[in-house]
Amino acid sequence: MRNESEVIELLENKLNPLSIEKLRDQNITVTLNNDQLVSGLNYLKSHSYSHLATISCVDWIDDNEFELVYHLFSYQDKINISVKTRIDREESKFVTIKHIWAVAQYYERDIHDFYGIEFEGNDDMDELILENWDEIPPMRKDFKTREYVDQKFEWREYHGSE
Amino acid sequence: MKDKFKSSKWQEVINWAQKKSLFMLHYCTGCGAIELPPTMTSRYDMSRFGIGPAATPRQADIFLITGYLSTKTLRRVVYTYEQMQDPKFVMGFGSCTINGGMYWDSYNTIKQLDKYIPVDLYIAGCMPRPEAILEGFMKLKNKIETGNADGYLRYKEDYDFYKENQEKVLGEVKRRQ
Repeated sequence: MRNESEVIELLENKLNPLSIEKLRDQNITVTLNNDQLVSGLNYLKSHSYSHLATISCVDWIDDNEFELVYHLFSYQDKINISVKTRIDREESKFVTIKHIWAVAQYYERDIHDFYGIEFEGNDDMDELILENWDEIPPMRKDFKTREYVDQKFEWREYHGSE
Repeated sequence: MKDKFKSSKWQEVINWAQKKSLFMLHYCTGCGAIELPPTMTSRYDMSRFGIGPAATPRQADIFLITGYLSTKTLRRVVYTYEQMQDPKFVMGFGSCTINGGMYWDSYNTIKQLDKYIPVDLYIAGCMPRPEAILEGFMKLKNKIETGNADGYLRYKEDYDFYKENQEKVLGEVKRRQ
């Protein structure tokens, strides 16, 4: 069982990350380049970080980038590692990791639903959560929720006193 | 035909019998589901009012929608409602079915249930307690006895209205006979 500083030292030597820090106990965040990500995840998986909890996404609209966050956990070290990478927002394309964790294809479908990111190699991109969605993906920051709600749904009218 | 039925003595007998035995399909979409176990079980025991839970839509009289409906669940609600046999009564439960509740500005939940299926009775609250649910059931029973719980007739009469609203938020709605 390794502690956080040992893991950080290991990853700094092996993965050549853009940044790495301990956020709090049992929690490390690593930022990798796009092309390092798959090999980095492979490396982590073979070093006891075998549990992919989820993949999440952040829309940094001012930087014109999406940030993908892969949440890993080790049952030996009892440490969470968030592996982050940033991709171009206009292109919004990345590679799948479903050959490393099969479950990732559902997380990627979910992100495709809500952010519109395509994952090369993952062809099954049917809607997972949404149904018949007809606008830009709803979790993108430039999606205008109130305007959409106003035109799609009607508000109930009240006739009581103001 | 509706008025004739309403006024006939035979219909009054049917209504009277009907209100004594109601089976409820609870469509537990939201947090309201948590109020139903105490309502059904010994603490509040709704079976003393002649109301029991039903397992399938085809055996149910009351359709209880307990909370918010995303457009995806609304589609299932419409299918379920159309499977139920007449006479059927819909109860909207909690403020989410009335005006969207705390999901009032969500892009994916409907704001007014009665635009999509006819609602006989709303129970306001977030969440309504079991007492409020039982009060709602008593009101519904009164409405059934007086022949005012006519949602299923309205659904047939204003079918175009409901269908138009459904398709506006859902896209195509497949219907099976």
